[in-house]
Amino acid sequence: MSLVDKLGNLIRAVKQNGGLFKSIRTFYFTDDLKWGTHVGTDKYGNRYFENNYYFMGRNRWVLFNDAFRLEYDGSQIPPEWHQWMHYTTDKTPIERPPVQHRWMVQHEENKTGSSKDTYYPYSTTRTKIESWMPKNLR
Amino acid sequence: MIRPRGRMLNTVCSVAHHHFNPSSSLVLPTTTTRSLSLGQPLLQAAKQPPAVVPDNRVELFIDDKRVLCEPGTTVLQAAAMVGVEIPRFCYHDRLSIAGNCRMCLVEVEKSVKPVASCAMPVMKGMRVKTNSVATRKAREGVMEFLLMNHPLDCPICDQAGECDLQDQSMMFGNDRSRFTDIKFEGKRAVEDKNIGPLVKTIMTRCIHCTRCIRFASEVAGVDDLGTTGRGGDMQVGTYVEKLFASELSGNVIDLCPVGALTSKPYAFTARPWEIRKCETVDVMDALGSNIVVNTRGGEVMRVLPRPNEDVNEEWISDKTRFAYDGLKRQRLTLPMLKNAQGVLEPVDWEAALTGIAAKVSRVEGREIAALVGGLCDVESLVVLKDLLNRLGCETLCTEEAFPMNAAGTDVRSNYLLNTKITGVEEADLVILIGTNIRFEAPVLNARIRKAYLHNNLRVAVVGKKTDLHYEYDHVGDTIQALEQLANGEHKLSKDLAKAKKPMIIVGSSSLQDADGAAILANAIVLADKLKSGSSSGSSDHDWKVLNVLHRHAGQVGALDVGYTPGAGKIKELKPRVLYMLGADAGVVTRKDLAADAFVIYQGHHGDAGAEIADAVLPGAAYTEKSATYVNTEGRAQRANVAVTPPGMAREDWKILRALSEFIPGASLPYEKLEDVRHRMADIAPHLLRYGAVEEANYFKQSHALVHGSKRPSHSGRALAPPQTVLEDFYMTDSISRASRTMAKCIQAARHHKTTKYSVS
Repeated sequence: MSLVDKLGNLIRAVKQNGGLFKSIRTFYFTDDLKWGTHVGTDKYGNRYFENNYYFMGRNRWVLFNDAFRLEYDGSQIPPEWHQWMHYTTDKTPIERPPVQHRWMVQHEENKTGSSKDTYYPYSTTRTKIESWMPKNLR
Repeated sequence: MIRPRGRMLNTVCSVAHHHFNPSSSLVLPTTTTRSLSLGQPLLQAAKQPPAVVPDNRVELFIDDKRVLCEPGTTVLQAAAMVGVEIPRFCYHDRLSIAGNCRMCLVEVEKSVKPVASCAMPVMKGMRVKTNSVATRKAREGVMEFLLMNHPLDCPICDQAGECDLQDQSMMFGNDRSRFTDIKFEGKRAVEDKNIGPLVKTIMTRCIHCTRCIRFASEVAGVDDLGTTGRGGDMQVGTYVEKLFASELSGNVIDLCPVGALTSKPYAFTARPWEIRKCETVDVMDALGSNIVVNTRGGEVMRVLPRPNEDVNEEWISDKTRFAYDGLKRQRLTLPMLKNAQGVLEPVDWEAALTGIAAKVSRVEGREIAALVGGLCDVESLVVLKDLLNRLGCETLCTEEAFPMNAAGTDVRSNYLLNTKITGVEEADLVILIGTNIRFEAPVLNARIRKAYLHNNLRVAVVGKKTDLHYEYDHVGDTIQALEQLANGEHKLSKDLAKAKKPMIIVGSSSLQDADGAAILANAIVLADKLKSGSSSGSSDHDWKVLNVLHRHAGQVGALDVGYTPGAGKIKELKPRVLYMLGADAGVVTRKDLAADAFVIYQGHHGDAGAEIADAVLPGAAYTEKSATYVNTEGRAQRANVAVTPPGMAREDWKILRALSEFIPGASLPYEKLEDVRHRMADIAPHLLRYGAVEEANYFKQSHALVHGSKRPSHSGRALAPPQTVLEDFYMTDSISRASRTMAKCIQAARHHKTTKYSVS
């Protein structure tokens, strides 16, 4: 690939990302700057892109909702998009919407490391000493 | 030539050494180089007329070591005198001889067959070989037979590591067996028996030593256990599925040489090699049984007895052994204080002590009172008394009452078990007054039963008829019967007056209400009468007759340091501040206090005391502090620290010492435990003479005071001890009330009553 092609890609990427300053911002947040087809947006506002010019494994990517800023995490991708992102399917959820069953739970991101709602494991064994508590605290 | 000279040497030495050796046995090798080199002067000495008292001791030789012992001694005992341990399974010092395990076979010269040494009395000139080829072969044969049907489940057996069969098969067994089971018939298997919530049975492991059976029928006095079948089909059990209904049942676990009887609560929890052992004393009854607390990782895993001939021999009651799980439940682990809304909430130590000090400083000293329970150690009692005396408080009471008429507790001999526990074995008459001694002091009851069996001890009971596991003369139910006995008007009076060494044991449980004074006064009069009757005939003028059996381990200590028995003074005073130290019997309620009274509870369990408290201070239980307890005989014993107090709990004397710092002008001078003990020695030096009984002998004065005053009147009620049936035995204090095992025992005892197999 010639230097001209590379320069062309850069210009396209900068253009698609909305200009020089917005491109610097994207680069700052994602350490990457790409151009591609915007294939869809999920319910959280994450935008999904595809460009088969990049090789397999880099050709599908997500730009997280700007509201997340640096606090983005892979677990914020809902399962239907996760499927597409991981090449389980080539059809995006837009092209083939997922079947919604009654028993399906709402997707939730992994809360580990966040200040609240973190899951803490607890011991299921009996303590060596069981303390007496006054009636009001029992 | 050598042998006669050697013998002469030994005779001389046995005379010379006799003073030093009370065991009446003396051992010297028959031929030594020393005897040859020193032969001449000793021969001269031997020519002098021997100054020996006529000696009927039998001389025999164990592995060529000479032993002199009383006729009737067994070969096994004689061997033990010279330090030769003969392996055994069925033989036990305190049980009758069964002679059925055959492990103690030894070769005796001129005997055609090997001899079971545990059952063989010594004979003159016997030559026993405990390590000869024939002996070893005999043992290996016996061991081979035992292991033929013993499962190889040591890895999952609770006895592993402290198993006699394991140890002895390593020491005396062969390294291979001829039983190869080529037809794959398998080993003998026996169904497990359910004999209650305490003793777990894995009967396949049983080697039929019958120790448990003999213990049950001889010591515990229940003929529950026995054998069925013969030979390979023999089974040990209770015949029908029923509870092994004894308050001493746990001792069969220690007696079982294999893992057939193990502890149910302890099952699969720890291994003997992981355990740390702490020698200490028990507080579940007033005897102060010596125990070993086994701990692992700061947790009490089990309690075992520690031999002490003067107190518990080697038995302990089931409450002593199994109530330890109560130490892990309902514990006070955080200081608590009532907040502005009037609800208890956990606070830190400083806040708790500051809050208490503020309340205590606000009232005058005479409006303060202290109430102590039955599990308090002397250290904390002394520190509490010093602290409150400094504030001007003189109302320090114990929950357990004691009549204060006449001499009351001023005379120490009034409230002790004066003849001591071992006195039971010398006595020829025991009169039990108002006590169910079987549950109030099970180990002492076992001792009485032993004397009943072996010394023809006569027992008489005043009070409700209960099953004591031996026969007794029932004097009567009521106080009138006691009065008649004291006045010599009862039909048994003449008969009982013949006793040379009579003992009267008054249960403190019968002295709790207003009639206590009359009961004690009559007991004192009766004691004096029996004493004067007996001393005319016997030479033992020091024999004491009157005994009081207490129920609580801390009671004698509290009386010794000057606490007032009974909460009567508190109820009169209606104090504005009440300091409860382990007071959980519920003797004092909110109604007995001033309306705005502030109640402080210090102790180790959340029980009746903590429920009514405004401030709760977490203290240490008996396994968690170095503390002094005085048992009902007046024997000071020290408990040691087996585990640390849980959570924020601290040793009790330290809490009181810290509190004194927060109250202006009350700061106590003790910095260390040694300082507290010095203070104890100032009050009563016997409190530090551990293991020894400080005797008291003021019976004359006490009797004179009773005699001088009018005999107190009484209601004539029946003497009914609070514990009458087995289910009453298990929960008597805050520790046993918190224990799940004890709850299961009560459940089992109740269920047992409904079955057709229960005796009473």
